[in-house]
Amino acid sequence: MSALLEVDGLEVDYGTARALDGADLRVAAGEAVGVVGESGSGKSTLGAAIGRLLPRQAVVAAGTVRVAGEPVLDLPPAALRRLRRQRLGFVFQDPIASLDPTMRVGAQLRLVLRAHGRDGRESPGGRDGGRGGADVAFHLARVKLDDPRVAAAYPHQLSGGMAQRVAIALAMAASPELLVADEPTASLDSQVREEVLNVVFALARQAGTSIVWLSHDLPAVARRCDRVAVMYAGRVVESGPAADVLGDPVHPYTAALARSAPAVAVPGVRLEPVPGRPPVLTGPSPGCAFAPRCPFAEDRCATERPEPVRVGAKDVLCHRAAELEVIA
Amino acid sequence: MNRTARVKRSRRLDPLSLAGLGCLLLLVLVALGSLVHAGGDPDAIVGPRLRPPGPGWWLGTDNLGRSMLPRVMEGVGTTLLLSSAAVLVTAALSAGFGILAGYRGGYLNELIMRVVELLYSFPAIVLAILVAAVAGPGQLAAVASIVLVTIPLMTRLVRAAAVAVAERDYVTAAAISGAGLPRILGRHVLPNVAGTIAVQGTYALSVGISVEGGLSFLGFGVQPPQASLGVLIRQGGTYMMAAPWLIIGPGVVLVLAILSINVLGDGLRDRFEPRETRSLI
Amino acid sequence: MILDLTDVTVSFTTGPPLRRTRLDAMRGVSLSVAEGETLGLVGESGSGKTTTSRVALGLQRPTSGTVRFDGRPFPRRRKDLAGRMQAVLQHPHWSLNPRMRIGQSVGEPLAVLGKAAGELVPEALEQVGLEAGFAGRYPHELSGGQRQRVSIARALITRPSFIVFDEAVSALDVSVQVQILNLLKDLQAEYGFAALFISHDLGAVRYVADRIAVMRGGEVVETADAATFYSAPEHPYSRQLLESL
Ligand SMILES: Nc1ncnc2c1ncn2[C@@H]1O[C@H](COP(=O)(O)OP(=O)(O)OP(=O)(O)O)[C@@H](O)[C@H]1O
Ligand SMILES: Nc1ncnc2c1ncn2[C@@H]1O[C@H](COP(=O)(O)OP(=O)(O)OP(=O)(O)O)[C@@H](O)[C@H]1O
Ligand SMILES: [Mg+2]
Ligand SMILES: [Mg+2]
Repeated sequence: MSALLEVDGLEVDYGTARALDGADLRVAAGEAVGVVGESGSGKSTLGAAIGRLLPRQAVVAAGTVRVAGEPVLDLPPAALRRLRRQRLGFVFQDPIASLDPTMRVGAQLRLVLRAHGRDGRESPGGRDGGRGGADVAFHLARVKLDDPRVAAAYPHQLSGGMAQRVAIALAMAASPELLVADEPTASLDSQVREEVLNVVFALARQAGTSIVWLSHDLPAVARRCDRVAVMYAGRVVESGPAADVLGDPVHPYTAALARSAPAVAVPGVRLEPVPGRPPVLTGPSPGCAFAPRCPFAEDRCATERPEPVRVGAKDVLCHRAAELEVIA
Repeated sequence: MNRTARVKRSRRLDPLSLAGLGCLLLLVLVALGSLVHAGGDPDAIVGPRLRPPGPGWWLGTDNLGRSMLPRVMEGVGTTLLLSSAAVLVTAALSAGFGILAGYRGGYLNELIMRVVELLYSFPAIVLAILVAAVAGPGQLAAVASIVLVTIPLMTRLVRAAAVAVAERDYVTAAAISGAGLPRILGRHVLPNVAGTIAVQGTYALSVGISVEGGLSFLGFGVQPPQASLGVLIRQGGTYMMAAPWLIIGPGVVLVLAILSINVLGDGLRDRFEPRETRSLI
Repeated sequence: MILDLTDVTVSFTTGPPLRRTRLDAMRGVSLSVAEGETLGLVGESGSGKTTTSRVALGLQRPTSGTVRFDGRPFPRRRKDLAGRMQAVLQHPHWSLNPRMRIGQSVGEPLAVLGKAAGELVPEALEQVGLEAGFAGRYPHELSGGQRQRVSIARALITRPSFIVFDEAVSALDVSVQVQILNLLKDLQAEYGFAALFISHDLGAVRYVADRIAVMRGGEVVETADAATFYSAPEHPYSRQLLESL
């Protein structure tokens, strides 16, 4: 399989704060990859870099991003716009902020549909209004918004979950080759979430769309995606087939992440978070960023940057990966 | 490799608006220069009457034999001073009314907006003449007219911005905390509509300059012997055939001022109110 | 009872002119929250949870029905309630003033009360797992989950007697989520605030709530003790919800 997305050694700084510290990610055509990590680990920054949508304070210190072989960070503006339009689709972390507050939902969807004719090519002329209306209803119904009221509503008249689904419908309507979805289901209840994800993944499979799903919810991501990449402090610390990462984690951080979730808590028993706090990096981490919180850390963890180690089908960023594999 | 330059969108203004800013600063400098008579005494008679530009009178002389250079410099100063004073008044009033109308809504909003619409429906110059007729011609009339002409649009736009900000959750959160109106308006709404005020203030300045020009040209604004761009153009108009330089100097400066301010305004608008602000974060 | 909603209905009209449609976001909702109690509010997307919280906060006037906070209807001047209630609202993106530093935002409820912030702000940030250094940042310099935690810190700082959490932990990873939920439990044990905890995450709700109310299509279909609810849900929709847990 050829890689549709290749991110290599990406380092991104916001002023003095370092958000990505050498992140690698590879997504094959048609593949769904979940990127999980705790709050502030750099997921949104990674997602933004894929479309070169970083805020203006961001500085790419090193690394490359390629989409279908094109160097995203070096493209001239026109080529970049074309790439975004033809290949990329985004669902942003806060959906309501990505919708135009002055335009009804149906009109926004129609705009996207018009820019991307059915066959994916551009047909700026637009189509007749009648069919446009039916299309809008169709695309909204796919994300379980079958109430005709939704198309006629302004974004602020929608509930949080409804806005999130509108954002998904907008991204899917453009039939991208690579869909980057940042916490696309964070404010959906379990039932709607499953239904919407069923649709998104079924459509993706049909159309051969690749998905990068950024999320904090490891079990949910592992259930759906082919592969999972776990981020910590701006690096991907473990990546591999979803079942392996969730069921048989090697990196101590992944293991901690896989363990406790409120959903599995026995009533009355106090849950314990992973002790310690993620670091706030101001430059390259000298060693392993997880070392201060890691129960298995040894001296070199604080001073030597770990390089990816192949453990089974996974790549693990840990000095003691081989030993821990045995423990696990 | 550092890719700042390419990945980062510019925080600063684009070259065109920078040029506009430069031009405006130059005019301010010229105006300041006139205070110390850098170009000569505007009221001194330096040579024969109605002379074309030449040594001693680089922009020619007028019908009394005064050098045009110091007169244009003084004119720029008067015009800029009057219009900026007026724009400050407009900005303060529009900010107050617009924010109040936008945040409070209700009858207060209705009242303010009806008044604004009424003002808006008058053609600018008619309004200005009306003011001059009531207040009597002079500097005060010029300032008052500029304020009345620029206030409706600015109030409307500030109100629109305030309406959008008022819906934001941080305003709601402050209200839930029990924050009073002054705190909500001053700490939350005003700072977030300040960009709009700055942009519209720039546009208002260019409108102000043209209103002053028009009013003084018609004789309702600044009164001679004090020079303003409008006054100079009016005086130059009389001798347009015999001594075109009398009108060309102030005319070019007027156009330049308005142009550069509008360009600057566009740049500020793109900087403060980008239509598409999207980031993943 | 600190909060009492009796038979509250909220209707919205939407749609283009001439084709207006009316929608009851809440229909005959009766709910109450006792002092020191956490009421979990669950239900599908669009069922009216946020609208209910807005009514509870006095931000949305009911079309019909009554709301009582602390036994009284909402006063005309919000200032009279200063420091009594706080909320973590649903959209982290808009919950912080972009022109204010994090420290100022977190300390604002104190400033409203005319109290000195002192060490409280760094302490509050620390409690939600953020370094004190974040106080000097602006909201756009934070990740989504960090912003959400800042709102939580702001809501807790005055130790109000009633707090609304609208999907307050939905953008947080399990570890941070557990930390926040533990913090809520500890503070509640310490000084006993009442809370309306809205979430679609039944696990998180079970962890913090004393009682649970289930909404569907604008109506409350079941209210029960947390224990009863999770062991023997009555309404078919509740059972359906719990199956997916
Ligand atoms: N504009 C900025 N200036 C400074 N620091 C920033 C900026 N944007 C993000 N950061 C920091 O970079 C780090 C990574 O942020 P990012 O938004 O990528 O995290 P995330 O993994 O998406 O987290 P979350 O799950 O909370 O959304 C965070 O520590 C954040 O504070
Ligand atoms: N200002 C408004 N104007 C019109 N309709 C509205 C408005 N606010 C909410 N609604 C509608 O009321 C219903 C309930 O919305 P609400 O935000 O209370 O749902 P919710 O339970 O919080 O859902 P979610 O879990 O998705 O956030 C929705 O159908 C929504 O479209
Ligand atoms: Mg994020
Ligand atoms: Mg809601």
